[in-house]
Amino acid sequence: MEGFKFIGKRIPRKDAEAKVTGTLKYTYDLEVPGMLIGRIVRSPYAFADIKKIDVSKAVKMGAVVLTPSDVPQKPYNPRLVSIHEVTYKDTYILTTRPRYLGEPIAAVAAPSEELAQRAAESITVEFERVYKPILDPFEALKPGAPRIHEKIMRGDNWVEVENNIAARLDYDEGDVESGFEQADVVVERTFKTGKRYHMQLEPKAVLVIPEPEGKITIYTTTQSIHNTRILISQLFEIPESRVNVVRVPIGGSFGSSIQTNYLVPIAVGLALKAKKPVKIAYTREEDILDHSNFVFYFKIKIGARKDGVFTAAEFTNILDVGAHQVQPYPLLGTSLGWFVSMYKWRNIRYRGIAVYTNKVPGCALRGYGAPEVQWAVETLIDEIAEMIGFDPIELRLKNYIGKGDIFWGQGPTVKSVIRSDGVPELLQKGRELINWDKRGHPSEKKGRFRRGIGVGRGFHTSGASGPISGEVIDYTGCILKLNEDGTLDYITALQDHGGGTLDAHVKIIAEELGVPPELVNIASASTETTPYDVCTHASRGTYVGGECARRAAQIVKQKILETALRIIGRAVNPEALKLRYDEESKQAFVYIEGTDIRISLAEIARTAWQRNWGTIGAFVTYRATSSPPSFTVYFVEVEVDTWTGKVRPIRVVAGADVGTPINPDMIEGQLHGGFAMAWGMAFSENTLYDPLTGEIMGRGLITDYKIPTAADVPSLEDFKVILANTFEPAGPYGAKGLGEAATNPAVAAILNAVYNAIGVRFYELPVTPDKIIMALREKGDLEW
Amino acid sequence: MRVKFTLNGNPVELEVDPRETLLNTLRLRLRVKSVKRGCERGECGSCTVLLNGNPVNSCILLTIQVDGAEVTTIEGLIGDSLLEKLAKNFIECGAVQCGFCTPGIILTAYAGIKQGRIKSPEDAREYIGNLCRCTGYVKIIEAVGKTAREVLTSGGV
Repeated sequence: MEGFKFIGKRIPRKDAEAKVTGTLKYTYDLEVPGMLIGRIVRSPYAFADIKKIDVSKAVKMGAVVLTPSDVPQKPYNPRLVSIHEVTYKDTYILTTRPRYLGEPIAAVAAPSEELAQRAAESITVEFERVYKPILDPFEALKPGAPRIHEKIMRGDNWVEVENNIAARLDYDEGDVESGFEQADVVVERTFKTGKRYHMQLEPKAVLVIPEPEGKITIYTTTQSIHNTRILISQLFEIPESRVNVVRVPIGGSFGSSIQTNYLVPIAVGLALKAKKPVKIAYTREEDILDHSNFVFYFKIKIGARKDGVFTAAEFTNILDVGAHQVQPYPLLGTSLGWFVSMYKWRNIRYRGIAVYTNKVPGCALRGYGAPEVQWAVETLIDEIAEMIGFDPIELRLKNYIGKGDIFWGQGPTVKSVIRSDGVPELLQKGRELINWDKRGHPSEKKGRFRRGIGVGRGFHTSGASGPISGEVIDYTGCILKLNEDGTLDYITALQDHGGGTLDAHVKIIAEELGVPPELVNIASASTETTPYDVCTHASRGTYVGGECARRAAQIVKQKILETALRIIGRAVNPEALKLRYDEESKQAFVYIEGTDIRISLAEIARTAWQRNWGTIGAFVTYRATSSPPSFTVYFVEVEVDTWTGKVRPIRVVAGADVGTPINPDMIEGQLHGGFAMAWGMAFSENTLYDPLTGEIMGRGLITDYKIPTAADVPSLEDFKVILANTFEPAGPYGAKGLGEAATNPAVAAILNAVYNAIGVRFYELPVTPDKIIMALREKGDLEW
Repeated sequence: MRVKFTLNGNPVELEVDPRETLLNTLRLRLRVKSVKRGCERGECGSCTVLLNGNPVNSCILLTIQVDGAEVTTIEGLIGDSLLEKLAKNFIECGAVQCGFCTPGIILTAYAGIKQGRIKSPEDAREYIGNLCRCTGYVKIIEAVGKTAREVLTSGGV
């Protein structure tokens, strides 16, 4: 980037050395003297009522034991991103009525993991009744179906649950019937996704330490230290000032810790009872029982005229949320938001229903419904293009929601106007790079190996803020202070999952102050030393957190100049003072052009200290006034082996409109990783449930959950990244987010490429090799 | 059972339960935390260590099996020139994201290059079976391939 000293430059991330040498400590690596290890007793049934829990043997073994009667029995929602009034609460720390196989019903703590495990195994549970699990949301919706929950709380009120409907959201705009009447073609399809598991490399873990004066300190795998603190405070009725949650490096997350993971309140309960530190770390099999994605069932109907104008869209969204709510209500809103913000449909009808089943509770997984919605929409756009004889790219360009349009990805209460838009540029460049116009028609492709090219276009929001306070909480805060030697401490609650978010903030601060990034320290952080930040999610880290950091740096800069003025002590026009980075000495200077007045930041800091002028610093709390879309466009070439049904990527062109790129190497890394995740979503990832027992097939062993490996992804030469030349006026130095947009439209591109190779469209994910073979057989296109 | 092995060049002698895994011995007794517990099924490779120079999953190896062997973790390679090259290239290529899989992948790559099995990015793609969820492997393969090329042009390790 021209004109910038640090932004857009490839600067090694601050934590890289600790990571490559293995010295960085994650939650499970932490140990304190006298610490007990906790283990969780889980329900062997997917839906049952407990009669009695016998813990006598465990107690005799010396273990600290926790049963439902030992913990507050009030319903909670582990995720606190929506406002209180629209938060549905149905989860108990330990339950007497397990609603999925593996739900925590008791817990133990002992001095070693082995003792704890033995104590956990010694506990016997007598069940009053075991019910047949309901695993299909359409079964759950049937009149007369057993109720998985009877009463849950919405805000402060108890509500009855009817037909296992957890939450619903409807939306209407215009007149859909007359819209369809005006259409020349109407296409209607149903789509179903897999129940994917995050497979973040670090299984969830927690360490809770009771402190003097009734305080507790919590170290855990969370994307939001403040929301974890608030939840624990509310559940155990401990004032927030006595709950301190520390930010710990996290081994990947992808949405699996937007909520506070279930082991955290359990460990708090154990630690309070034991009056000793307690650590719990899931095994991988337990981790799969803690979180996976929602299952989406879509029915989408779109009407279009022959001139490429859409006339109406109808979208039914049945969401299988599993046994408990991890805020699926806002997901009903974002699913709609992703849908309406894709194209100008003109008339819209939306029916969203979130349904309980006896499965692992569903939670966000990178994209919060956007990869699923964009897969469905981008499939349909290609189908419509073919029906009306339009080039698929031209049809997209004609109808997409872009600059000047209202955008509301994060649901109906988070709307703002789009002010930066790189879509035409990315589609055009990608079209050339992939050789789009030579992709051919599926009917021309013969032989065992067939290649196809596909496109997928989409976006994610940068955060969930807007001009008006809606149903979603989104603000952040930070502290920036100048130290006595001219270095800086940057203090924020915002978590970095590995994407380099905090390094982006450092570059922004460095740019604003002319200070080299190595002099800006990312301070350790906990809830008691930081202002509130909602969560690192919604691809908001760089856009919201980065702008907050920039504003703090702006205030600090002003104070530096004021201090410099005081030092210079002459009749200087304050506006003549400038602050800049000096390449030669690698430090910042305050100077006045055309004079010999020049004073280093280190000297300013030292002088302020020595003369007792106080600390130069800033405390900023910030909410963005918009959530601009980061547009992404994928062009993918695949090769389908029609003998084995296996698909391999040949070439990828990943285009991203992130505004001003702050960390180019991390942007590439997000796109590479986002593509790999989409590849798994397209072809392999799913957790299947035994219809009789409700157990995850293969007992949840990851040997049966295949994510892409190094052999499944394209090489660097075959993975082209292009960045749009845009500037987002509301972002720090013009930047927007990326994390989720890096995945969102990739599945659509991959499966549109499969269609271009073999002429078959798939409406159910994952598209496993057997489905490809079966489809080719049905088509009479098997060459063996 | 009594077991003797060397860990990063230092002799270790321990009394262990015959069912104890090397992963637990390293993490819980010897406090080597760079060896990560990711799956305990030999699937993800986060717990990779070098056993007499070969990469193995310490989660599916019993400690008694390493009796008399040389066990190396990344701590034991600090200062080693190949390790330094790998670490430098991982950092420069941007191959590090959350970092949880990183020590295991670097150890696997180290053995692959040292034994002449990784000479190119293509070899690295085939050789490195460790799982990573953040990077999509692209920059990891680039970093390993680049290191392998550097080693080849400088006349081997």
